[in-house]
Amino acid sequence: MSTPTISRQRLTALVPYAFVAVPLAYLGVFMFWPLLRQMWMSLTDTRLMNPTKGDFIGLENYRHLLADPQFYTSLHVTVVYTLLTVIFGVGLGTISALAINRPFPGRTIVRAVLLFGWAVPNVAATLIWLWIYNGPSGVANELTEWLGLGRVQWLTSIDMALPSIMIVTVWQVAPFVMLVMLAALQSVPDEVREAARVDGADALNVFRNVTLPYILPTMQLVSLLVAVWSIRRFEIIYLLTGGGPIGSTSTLVVQIRLTAFEDYDLGLASAYGAVGLVLALLVALVHFIFERRRARVMSK
Amino acid sequence: MPKIDFKGITKSFGPTTVIRRFNASVEDGEFLVLLGPSGCGKSTLLRMIAGLTDISGGELLFDGALANDWTPKQRGVAFVFQSYALYPHMTVRANIAFPLVMDRFRKWHHIPFVNMVQRWKVMRQPEVADAVERIAEQLELTPLLDRRPASLSGGQRQRVALGRSLVRDPSLYLLDEPLSNLDAKLRTQMRSEITTLHQKVKRTFVYVTHDQVEAMTMATRIVVMNQGYIQQIGTPDEIYDTPANTFVARFVGAPPMNLLPVKVAGQTLHAEGDSHWQHDGGAPKGATSAIFGIRPEKLRLTAPGAGRLPARVAVIERLGAETVLGCRLGAEAADVSGISTEDLVFVRTPGHPGFAHGEACGLDYDAGDVVWFDKSSGQNVAATPVVSTPEPAFEG
Repeated sequence: MSTPTISRQRLTALVPYAFVAVPLAYLGVFMFWPLLRQMWMSLTDTRLMNPTKGDFIGLENYRHLLADPQFYTSLHVTVVYTLLTVIFGVGLGTISALAINRPFPGRTIVRAVLLFGWAVPNVAATLIWLWIYNGPSGVANELTEWLGLGRVQWLTSIDMALPSIMIVTVWQVAPFVMLVMLAALQSVPDEVREAARVDGADALNVFRNVTLPYILPTMQLVSLLVAVWSIRRFEIIYLLTGGGPIGSTSTLVVQIRLTAFEDYDLGLASAYGAVGLVLALLVALVHFIFERRRARVMSK
Repeated sequence: MPKIDFKGITKSFGPTTVIRRFNASVEDGEFLVLLGPSGCGKSTLLRMIAGLTDISGGELLFDGALANDWTPKQRGVAFVFQSYALYPHMTVRANIAFPLVMDRFRKWHHIPFVNMVQRWKVMRQPEVADAVERIAEQLELTPLLDRRPASLSGGQRQRVALGRSLVRDPSLYLLDEPLSNLDAKLRTQMRSEITTLHQKVKRTFVYVTHDQVEAMTMATRIVVMNQGYIQQIGTPDEIYDTPANTFVARFVGAPPMNLLPVKVAGQTLHAEGDSHWQHDGGAPKGATSAIFGIRPEKLRLTAPGAGRLPARVAVIERLGAETVLGCRLGAEAADVSGISTEDLVFVRTPGHPGFAHGEACGLDYDAGDVVWFDKSSGQNVAATPVVSTPEPAFEG
């Protein structure tokens, strides 16, 4: 009688592993394996024309990368693009969330309109902005001319291409940030805000001393997401400028496409990818350091 | 210290009116308790005093000055919330010091870096640091000054909330059910601490609670509220001994006052069912039916047949120093198997009275302890000596 009981116990003990195995298999097949393949490929001289026949060349691709000025340009563009997208995207999203957090007539409509940018598919949104930025007939130039600033080469000038791309990115990212921050704002207890008002705090002090500390963890998390998405973003940049003019908008991801599909060098493209991964991991690391510090301080 | 006057204060949320024409005054230095069931409007009233909720109608006067539109800061009050409402990211020290920091805040301190430096400087000013230390010592919070609220117990958090309200030495303290999140033992302890604090600081306290024990033990005056209306204003003794109506009679006291609808036939009272007894005391003038009210401790247990009211013991609650017995009127016919306590007459008696469940007993009282209420309105009516002896209204 004891044998079936033991086997049932063993089966019961295995159930949690079975549940874990499913996502683990998914992550293994679709994430870790391609990642390991990419890492391996970055140590080979694999070409697009012969993708299975790459020879191991050690850190040669990385040496090549570090000697290439285009790599530094891409890294610089990626960092600037990521940083400014986070600052403006998270900033604008938070301000929008604060603005629509209070009840006012037509709030639901305003909220729906503000979410528009996030709801539109990336490619469609990019095409809309291509039309807006269009040199002779674009709305953007109509506006600058009306303001007396003259015509602007939005996507073809080295100085304006990256800011133009960032405007589109912020337009797409800010609504998502607004939605997340709105949820965070609604979790701030009214009583604590009221306590601050009774204690003599004005609106700005209530925000600084009560609201901000409550929403800061969410703001930090959403900044991490926006940063990682910015490092990975491809379609907006590729469709608007293709990385140009003269590489001024060529982020690491755009450079990967160029290296892999125009230069046919899968090994070097993988090395670019590895650098992008390290960059994303660094951002995540900063986030987790802040999180741990906050947890330590709050538990005191 | 401000004298607060409410003149026809009304509060509506859309079509729903929660406070109707509230007229009362809060005198300097008194401990006024707003007592009532959940949803009666007592917290809303407190929030209106603090300036956290707009007043829909009427006038709120602080020392005769119309204060309806004053900001919370202008009113100079302290508010202790039910959930403590501490600033979770600040230490206990920063929480207590916060009102003082805000008092010293100037518009130009909003400049980001300046703000940080100024707060740091203000926290270190001797008068601020000393005030915080003094309050912490008074509330036994000194060892906890550098900890954050998350690591404190409920009682400690409540003390920090009190400390934050004390530090500015306001003239008016508003407390919104501050003990309701604490366990029974801590509640008793904090109750006496707040009472001591009131006597020590000699300021006006307005305290909201639905707990009649808190109201009775702490208040110098109680306002009993129900459905947005004042039911009675009086000292705890007045509220307890001469409730203005049946609502107050049942709301204040545990167990509540026994209320028996009776027919008055001269000196004989007829309760519903077959119970009737010789009252031999005053009754409402000219009324043939009324509500007979008597506090449980005013009833005496007697041997069967000895008291005025024959009864049978249906419920026994031993509380240690005293026992509460629920009796069903009528000696023989009384059914004591039912679980409903609606029709029970409660008796509070010291020690153990020696009656068992289901046992017959007698109940007696002094006629002067009876409180009479009008049968239709439920309002307290004075008793007058009965002189005539009309026919009984119904037979038992």
